[in-house]
Amino acid sequence: MILLQSHSRFLLQTLLNRVQNLEKSVELDYHWVEFDDVRYHVQVSMKNPHILLLSVSLPTPPLETVFLGGLPFGAIEAIKSAYGVIVQILDPPRDGFNLTLKLNLSKLPPDEEYRHALLVKVASVREVVLGAPLRVILKYLASRTIAPDIDRLVALVHRPNESFFLLPQQAEKVTVVFPMRFKDSIDTVLATSFLQEFVESRRTAGLNNAPPCLWSHSPPLELKGATDDALSANAGFVTFGNITRLEFLFPFLVMLLILQTRLCVMNAVIFPRHVEGKKLDRTVWNLSTFHAYVNYHVKCSEGFMHTRMRRRVESLIQALNRAKPDQEKTKKAAHTRSFKRLSLKESRTNSNS
Amino acid sequence: MANTLRLYLTCIRNTLEAAMCLQQNFPCQEVERHNKPEVELKTSPELLLNPVLICRNEAEKCLIETSINSLRISLKVKQADELENILTKKFLRFLSMRAEAFQVLRRKPVQGYDISFLITNYHCEEMQKQKLIDFIVQFMEDIDKEISELKMSVNTRGRLVATEFLKQFI
Repeated sequence: MILLQSHSRFLLQTLLNRVQNLEKSVELDYHWVEFDDVRYHVQVSMKNPHILLLSVSLPTPPLETVFLGGLPFGAIEAIKSAYGVIVQILDPPRDGFNLTLKLNLSKLPPDEEYRHALLVKVASVREVVLGAPLRVILKYLASRTIAPDIDRLVALVHRPNESFFLLPQQAEKVTVVFPMRFKDSIDTVLATSFLQEFVESRRTAGLNNAPPCLWSHSPPLELKGATDDALSANAGFVTFGNITRLEFLFPFLVMLLILQTRLCVMNAVIFPRHVEGKKLDRTVWNLSTFHAYVNYHVKCSEGFMHTRMRRRVESLIQALNRAKPDQEKTKKAAHTRSFKRLSLKESRTNSNS
Repeated sequence: MANTLRLYLTCIRNTLEAAMCLQQNFPCQEVERHNKPEVELKTSPELLLNPVLICRNEAEKCLIETSINSLRISLKVKQADELENILTKKFLRFLSMRAEAFQVLRRKPVQGYDISFLITNYHCEEMQKQKLIDFIVQFMEDIDKEISELKMSVNTRGRLVATEFLKQFI
């Protein structure tokens, strides 16, 4: 599996299981956690076997990210348009979760294929909720207009207490900036070499239409310019909301500069051709899980390195054992058999018989 | 390039052949009934021989220290960039952690080097000298080979990962 799949495999399995045995009333209470600290909870009670409660907890948003009622903006509309009548949003959500959905499985369409597609969509609830703001901005991009009431710099959460940035205020393109942080120094080095490959492989012939990528150790000028702009524009009109926003943006940028050694910034420019039609879903998913994708492959290559190293250790130990004379003797003993030399005549009679 | 490597390894091999001439069972002079590798303790200078330093270049060198009953070989492996540095560190740490399995490997490298071997007279008694030298030389070759292969595999994977990701946008 090279690419990350947008649906939660376990959730899809649970849903399919439930739909197949809808008459059987069972009690379900599952908790599980996925990458980037997204937690799920599924509950089915004995009384109403066709009602399934699905709760999702999103990664803790950093201060510069705006969450409306515990959800990213546009999430509720996105849920409604994606699921239609089978889903009802419960307000308030379950304790400790950001969102609780009430799925009515008896309202699923009878058509097998359509039903499966819908269940896959439910299983990728994470994509729908976390990707909602990104989808809104990219939709504007697809129609080549600028969203009317949107900030110059938008921060979207993708990991606990970390966000990536969007610069949506251009009619023809949207710039996405990912601050890439890794805990481990080995991870950082591996990821750095991966990110360089992103820039390199963009130049190869087949990928001319892919979004151009830039990679640098220092935060890109777009981010700096944005805060300067915000500063000058807001200097005269201090309102409460604006003050808090400024205060929060500032320490973050300073942090960015301090963390430079452990941080590289990935920068991709998205043009309208990347968000046309069906590609929109894919683009949203890929962008919102970019960090997880790189991290996943860093871990994979570390695992691969370990298997290789283990094999190499074995071969070296064998080389060392060859130096021990006892083993040599036993080996030789196994090889030296007592042969009876046959004369020509005898061998012929042997082969004849 | 391959030629200089061969010269370097031949030089190490010849030096080791000369140096691995250890006296059988030399009891400690300070403590009664002790028998320790003198190259590690360095208690009496008369038991130590001159150390030999073989350099291929600044980054790659091999220090051979000899004493009456033991021999210490320390290697420094070349690290051209940060990725190689990390890979070398990781791989050599992996090996040092398994020092028990390689009887002659030291758990910690000598300061300034990446990995060290300690060969005592007991090792020389139970192993053939020529084969032991073969092992050390093969070890050095293998480390170089392994690290360059690891680096290549990281780069190939990086390229594949990037290409697959960018293909999604086409």
